Amino acid sequence: MGNNQVGITLKSASEQAAATIAAMPVRPKTIRCPICQQLCLTYADLAEHYASEHPDSVAPTAVTLNVNGINCNLIFEPHLTLKQVLQYHLGLIGAKEMCDRGACGSCTVIMDGKPALSCNILASECEGKIIETVEGIAVIPKWKPLIDEYCKWDAMQCGYCTPGFLVAAKALLDRNPNPTEYEINDALSGNICICGTQPRHSQAILEAVKLMAEGSDI
Amino acid sequence: MADLTGANGQRENFRVVGKPNIPGLTSYAMATGIAKFGSDFNVPGMLFAKMLRSPYSHSRVLSIDTAAALAIPGVVDVVLWNDPIFKEIGSGPLSGKKSSYLPNEAHCEGAEVGAVVIAESEGLCDEALQALIVEWEQLPFIVDLKKGLDPDFPTIRGPEWDESDTYGPTSVTSEGHTWMATHYPEDPRKVGNVSWTTKIEGDLEAGWAEADFILEYDVNLHDVVSLLPNPQASVAWWTDNMYKPGKTLRIEGAVGRRGMIANMYKVPDDNVIQEGLFQGGKYCDWGLRMAQEITPLLSKRVGGRPVRCCNTREENFDMCVNERHAHIKLGVTKDGLITAVEDNSLLDHGAPNSSEMTVYDRDWNGYYSLKCENIVQKYTVVDSNRGFMHTCGQFVPYSWDMVTVGIAVLAEKLNKDPTDLARLNIHGPDSQKDTRPVPSFEACLEEGKRLMNWNWHKAGTKRLPDGRLHGASFRYQMCPRHAFMKYFCKLEYRGGVVHFPTQGPIAGWFGTECFTMIAAEELGLNFEDICVDYDYRAEHTDEAGGSDGVTGHGWIVKECANLLKKKILESAVKEAQIEVMRFGPMEMPKPPSPLKGYTADELDIMDGKVFVKADPSVFVPFSQATSETISADYGGNSPKSAWATTFGRRFDTMNTSWCEVAVDDETGEVEILKYMVVADPGKVIRRTSLESQIDQVVFFSQGCQLLEEYIMDPETGVKLNGNMVDYRKPTTLDVPVVDKEILELRSGDGAYGASGIAHNLANSHLIITAIHNATGVWVDPPATPDRMLKALGKC
Repeated sequence: MGNNQVGITLKSASEQAAATIAAMPVRPKTIRCPICQQLCLTYADLAEHYASEHPDSVAPTAVTLNVNGINCNLIFEPHLTLKQVLQYHLGLIGAKEMCDRGACGSCTVIMDGKPALSCNILASECEGKIIETVEGIAVIPKWKPLIDEYCKWDAMQCGYCTPGFLVAAKALLDRNPNPTEYEINDALSGNICICGTQPRHSQAILEAVKLMAEGSDI
Repeated sequence: MADLTGANGQRENFRVVGKPNIPGLTSYAMATGIAKFGSDFNVPGMLFAKMLRSPYSHSRVLSIDTAAALAIPGVVDVVLWNDPIFKEIGSGPLSGKKSSYLPNEAHCEGAEVGAVVIAESEGLCDEALQALIVEWEQLPFIVDLKKGLDPDFPTIRGPEWDESDTYGPTSVTSEGHTWMATHYPEDPRKVGNVSWTTKIEGDLEAGWAEADFILEYDVNLHDVVSLLPNPQASVAWWTDNMYKPGKTLRIEGAVGRRGMIANMYKVPDDNVIQEGLFQGGKYCDWGLRMAQEITPLLSKRVGGRPVRCCNTREENFDMCVNERHAHIKLGVTKDGLITAVEDNSLLDHGAPNSSEMTVYDRDWNGYYSLKCENIVQKYTVVDSNRGFMHTCGQFVPYSWDMVTVGIAVLAEKLNKDPTDLARLNIHGPDSQKDTRPVPSFEACLEEGKRLMNWNWHKAGTKRLPDGRLHGASFRYQMCPRHAFMKYFCKLEYRGGVVHFPTQGPIAGWFGTECFTMIAAEELGLNFEDICVDYDYRAEHTDEAGGSDGVTGHGWIVKECANLLKKKILESAVKEAQIEVMRFGPMEMPKPPSPLKGYTADELDIMDGKVFVKADPSVFVPFSQATSETISADYGGNSPKSAWATTFGRRFDTMNTSWCEVAVDDETGEVEILKYMVVADPGKVIRRTSLESQIDQVVFFSQGCQLLEEYIMDPETGVKLNGNMVDYRKPTTLDVPVVDKEILELRSGDGAYGASGIAHNLANSHLIITAIHNATGVWVDPPATPDRMLKALGKC
């Protein structure tokens, strides 16, 4: 009977994640100078504008990023981290920034199959890499039990660090589909939860492993 | 069965309340990364802002040359502290006293001071801050409290911080107990950087006279950092609204009641559009940061363009437990009965406008759980530049461990089991003179002893087979429930569905889920049948105060649900009598209702049906009970909890915590072998989050006792580890498995006899006490290997 607009079910949350991925621009809608907001028609125009107007600044770079299976041609300042580009250029907010320096795991994404800290990686160095974010995981039916069990066991309180944990858990299960409790805690030890949900993650993951072994939603 | 005054407080059978593993209403949004926190908002065309921050412990900005910063392409503006624009806004909700919203004096390293830069990108903001030529005046600072005690040390706060207005009549509960008084009229007036406050109960001299001996011990607490997980941030801009006079402010991320921001910017509530349901962890830290409040002002400054301001981790490294050094004297009879307590504490007052909850609160203290009525607490409070402390009740229970340690010290001296000494000293349910056992205490104590195989030994007398020293400890604590607050609930039956409008916010304690479960229970529905409508304009808020607040607030929800149920049944009966349906001028015969002829008292709701109690086969679907829209609201106080009126002088529910450690006296390493919580929350509302809150307090407690230490350079007064690399929080490899045994004695007076659990289990000395039991030495937290070896005399 009831319903809710905030993503009360996995279906609605997955649909919103899918919509977010679908909204990622595969090419820039507009090309603007990030310093003076001058509109440029092409990347070459922008480079020329920089050379003439901002000769002391490093010009934005044109990079193709493969994120959640989609190639996105982007133009951004070379000092931006992958976390910043995901948020500001692709509208993906699942990777979170907590510590600023690779100590908390909240910004975890999967890059070429391995967990990576997106706040510590320059986006311009990610061309040619396969990048997977929590939104991408949320739309794959195989991972429904993992998300379900996270929610059933309250492996989250305020929820800020949760996507980072979930991505790290998925990366673990990719390489080890049947981990022990210690292996889970070891794999997630780079993720910090300030609400103290640490013991909940292994519980949720172990329950999910059981369901996934039974073939639920795979 | 203490919920005696409300509807169904004595309910025996529960279908929804108490169930585990029901996903939270927003859990899927949080797990899949679609939940938007303050720093996630990204508005096209927005500008960025950053504040200048003090690199010194105590400083004043004398002048700022902005020319070079303004010359950087992409830097839009630099706003200085003396700009008239700051006079346009009022104080924030918890801003306290300030000479200007943005001051030119910083009272701790990292404090916002002097200037805000606005630019096209965060990188340009950083560049602009670097380009400011700031003339700083370094001022005398105190990060060492002993230095602050020196009467010859310069005063670090000017006359504008005079606190004489905080002297005066104290707040008194309905039962006559004073509480949260900053100072008492008879206290000496402040001298230099030091103020004093003394709370006296009973007759200390008589207490000493009754005693056979005096026991003295020290309890030292160190600074602990809370670390709100998410960067505090907001984006704001002003627009014209053709339907409303004046400008409309849209603010994203500054989660909280919109009235707070509306008041600051002197606009009607209706002219504020607020986005942002997800608040992140708060842990009773209710202040908004400047980054969350200042963006509307800056947007106005740049002509209405959106402005984003976001703190970094280092900028959000606020303290939540202040340093405290207590020297305690107990008068004790030869049997172990405590007859007098004298607590002399030295405390850090922090930077101006810090929360005084952890400094001055003497009521949330285990002393009042004792039969002893002769209690004196003398506090010496030193102004400092150590840091800013936001309101943080989460850690106030730490002061309970003055008793935990006292009982352990007494046990050692008398060679008696500390659980027996606790039982001897703890008073009865009704008053300090009540000698009857507290049922909840007895139940938790006995169950804990059984599950721990409790067999107390004297300190330093037991080694494990692997050669390590074995120690064990226990503590007890009542639940300090928040039932002194007024709560509100509105429920609506609309279109066949019950709606629960709430503004949230979501901060992690699953309060709305608890309320929804209670409403479903009372309305005969399932959890998922209630439609929770999150809307920042809704009056109901989730700011109940953790699980202990939820139980009081839940009582209000329970009453509201019963009001709604009564109205639905009355409306169903009324509609059942109608034989003709009217659509404007047209009339049509209405199919006869099975409920026709019954009264509301003869009907009930269950399993999606409104049915006749005497014959449940006669029913209508709940969704067709009535075509009317019906609302019920209920607000006010829930029954006042024992804590809220007596601060421990009465007891309802009780909890116990137990810890067993192994200490390697060669390496100094401490391992928690077992951490057990036997808790009586009265009645479990939402089991999974209740257990999760236990995990949370153990995480806090373990962190501060074994890992976390906030280090300041005494020479410069700056933080040496103000980041998450050097300040260690526990990880999945550090936290112990917490064994939990939940009893439900129904003796609280929240919904169904609940009391809650959140605050009371947080502690600063349960593990430290177990370490003492293992080694025979007291180590001040955190008990890191190097500190352990030092305490053991090995380095």
